[in-house]
Amino acid sequence: MRYVLRKVVLFVLTLWAAITLNFILPRLMPGSPVDAALARLSSNGVPVTNAERAAIEAQLGSPNGNLLSQYGTYLKDIATFNFGRTYSFPTESVSHTIWQALPWTLLLVGVTTILAFVLGTLLGIYAGWRRGKTADSVVTMGATFFAAFPPFWLGLLLLYLFAFKFELFAIKGGYSEGLTPSWSPSFLSDAFQHSILPGLTLAITSLSGWVFGMRNNMINTLGEDYVTFAEANGLRSRTVATLYAARNALLPNVTAFGLSLGAVVGGSVLVEGIFSYPGLGNLLYIAVTNHDYPLMQALFLVITLSMLVTIFIVDLLYVRLDPRVRREVAS
Amino acid sequence: MKRPSRLRSAYALTAAALLATTTLASCSGAGSGNTSSSDSSVLTIQGDAGNPTLVENFNPFSTTQLEGTRLLYEPLEIPSTVDGSYTPFLATGHTFTDPTTLVYTIRSGVTWSDGKPFSADDVVFTFDMLKKDAALDTTGVWSQLKSVTASGDKVTATFKAPNVPFAATVSQVPIVPQHLWASVPKPDTFTNTKPVGTGPFTLKSFAPTLYSLAKNASYWQAGKVAPSQVDFPAQSSNQSTNQLDVSSGKFDWSYNYLPDVEQTYVAKDPSTRAYWFPPGGTIALFMNLTKAPYNDVNFRKGVSLSLDRSTIAEKAVNGYTTAASSSGLILPNEEKWLDPSLPGKGVVAQDQAAATAAFSKAGYTLQGGKLVKGGQQATMTLVMPNNFTDWIAAAKEVASQLGVAGINVKLDLPQYAQYETEIQAGTFDTAVGGFGGSGSPYTDFNNGLNSAYAAPVNTPTVNNFERFKSPTVDQALATLARATQEAEQKQATYKLQQVMYTQVPIVPMYYGGSWGLFSTAHFTGWPSENDAYSLPTPYNNAMLLIVTHLTKA
Repeated sequence: MRYVLRKVVLFVLTLWAAITLNFILPRLMPGSPVDAALARLSSNGVPVTNAERAAIEAQLGSPNGNLLSQYGTYLKDIATFNFGRTYSFPTESVSHTIWQALPWTLLLVGVTTILAFVLGTLLGIYAGWRRGKTADSVVTMGATFFAAFPPFWLGLLLLYLFAFKFELFAIKGGYSEGLTPSWSPSFLSDAFQHSILPGLTLAITSLSGWVFGMRNNMINTLGEDYVTFAEANGLRSRTVATLYAARNALLPNVTAFGLSLGAVVGGSVLVEGIFSYPGLGNLLYIAVTNHDYPLMQALFLVITLSMLVTIFIVDLLYVRLDPRVRREVAS
Repeated sequence: MKRPSRLRSAYALTAAALLATTTLASCSGAGSGNTSSSDSSVLTIQGDAGNPTLVENFNPFSTTQLEGTRLLYEPLEIPSTVDGSYTPFLATGHTFTDPTTLVYTIRSGVTWSDGKPFSADDVVFTFDMLKKDAALDTTGVWSQLKSVTASGDKVTATFKAPNVPFAATVSQVPIVPQHLWASVPKPDTFTNTKPVGTGPFTLKSFAPTLYSLAKNASYWQAGKVAPSQVDFPAQSSNQSTNQLDVSSGKFDWSYNYLPDVEQTYVAKDPSTRAYWFPPGGTIALFMNLTKAPYNDVNFRKGVSLSLDRSTIAEKAVNGYTTAASSSGLILPNEEKWLDPSLPGKGVVAQDQAAATAAFSKAGYTLQGGKLVKGGQQATMTLVMPNNFTDWIAAAKEVASQLGVAGINVKLDLPQYAQYETEIQAGTFDTAVGGFGGSGSPYTDFNNGLNSAYAAPVNTPTVNNFERFKSPTVDQALATLARATQEAEQKQATYKLQQVMYTQVPIVPMYYGGSWGLFSTAHFTGWPSENDAYSLPTPYNNAMLLIVTHLTKA
């Protein structure tokens, strides 16, 4: 039980630290929300005036009050899940803005993360098992090749080739202009069409990490005595590869998978930006450029929370997956 | 434990995002894509920047209203941003009975789009609402107004002090219906998703990536409205995608700076594609007048004389606009106000000998190519937002030209919000910024030079941030505020231009353009050099002027 208790205490401490950092960091950025709003207006070419500044200050309330009292309100608001209104869209509540963007990111980044993990791990197992053979070289070299692509660059390339040059896909957005999001089959297929290019970009660039990780784990595990023992016992090579080697080699990859699932909520700022995808990554970018403290805080909170929660779950899962941890828990 | 590193990387995303903008902005292409709607009576305007989707907000007092709101509501009158001449809307005209009393005659026979009649009471209600809630008063009308009252078809606005040119601001307040807005509890956060206005269009549909307006059949000048529908597709958050959209010909009207516009836009269909890039503001150097050596007029003159403005305009905006006049006026738009005694229309030519003479009056001598005073070389740090590529190109040219004059110029490129903070607080050295563009010389000079705005350093001010103080300017502005006769107005404006020209509080460089791109395939009557009734800007009341000016092709 001490193991679980220790994990819970650690979880709470990390959460507090994250929440506090989350409060401090946005306020360390140079510039203020009012100036950011003015900047947004005047970048349109509208001449701005002192009157406009006063009106915007009145619209935003007073974000420049005493820091300590702001921190107090902030903690209270988090405890009551009251995130207030955004500065970027002063008519919208933060929760509503995030809820609107969340499903897009969860589906796009979530599905591509799972796909990349499954595919990458399988390829890694295969390459590790056939280490030194042609298959291994092809997989390893292919993975190295794709790992060298920066995601934003690959995104721009795919956009230029398949959306602009060959006009196979739409050039921007999560769905066609004029549609309203719904669960109708026609909308879903439209949204799927729009998600192919950003999905491909994300999957291709994250695949390699899983391949390398799994291949190296496999090779390590294959050197273990129990694998040699299994082979010596004349078990079928597939049984040795999957049940003996892969099962044990999978453990570190599960940790990494948990972490990247937690990171899914953070979205992918660059890829979502390139494809104008209506997800959390884009929202985060808007929040930062507008000095939108309420939105930024809520977003970082969601990101850190999902991160901490997945780490916590992975920690607990280890009790089931790894007999060594189980023994520690029992003691 | 991997936790700390993962947390850090979440924040690193932010930094990565900021980097990305520069990367994206540098990548552009050209080609063909979808062409605009086949229905020839639909007007398609490049709409608001969706981030990446739009937030429904048709509140005409909100700073985040959708641009189409300007076709739903009308103000009393709209002064042209080119020359300030008025086009009447809900008022048929205005007169000053004395310099503090402005009387509008309200148009009769106008109805709201829900069928209820419009009256002078709606006008008074709207102004009173802005008085009660400062957050709605984005143009600051109540900083000048004392009261607004109605009597029959007359609405009288009384000013606290004489301010004739302020009629331009009062006239442009959008008027909303009392019978609906009186019951809105919080008008500043009201999103007004079922807008009822007097304008030429009503809201037809809203989706997060596109909204459509339909023609208001009962509009009082329905005969002047050619489009049956206006579509506003959301702009992409990615600038290169926008440029692809524009050059594909998707829009009837868009607003973009395109390098080599003849090739990237017009050449795709020369028979229907047109552009007009009139000057819309002055891009200038703002030296911080609270600092030495900028508080010395001779040093400022030296800087002004060292600049070759045509080259700067060529580098910054492809030469689409010209060198700016140091009168402070935007030429040729405001030519009628120009002081005829200014040589060369006030455009200061590069004159290195005169510059050296001016610098030496400020105590600087040229030693081995360096301007030196007390053993120290003159330095200047130019600050501008990091995403304004035209300003940056101009600043690089300025740096090299002032370098020849012997000043060591450095560029500082912060994020836009930080730039705003620095210039407002007065902690900058020299800023690149915009001056004027309202169409009214009074408004431009008042915002740019009025001593009342020259706040102490670290007290933010948006206007007169260079912190210029001059009794002559204040007097001339006061005279201009009182003057109802054009001859009197001209004399006061000449005085202001003389101060601009001889005191050099601001160093005008070149005119910033208004980047109007049009298609005449469906509609004609777009503003142009020969028919300059408005700047081609889709983000202010010019939209209402232009859309009611179009005819079917």
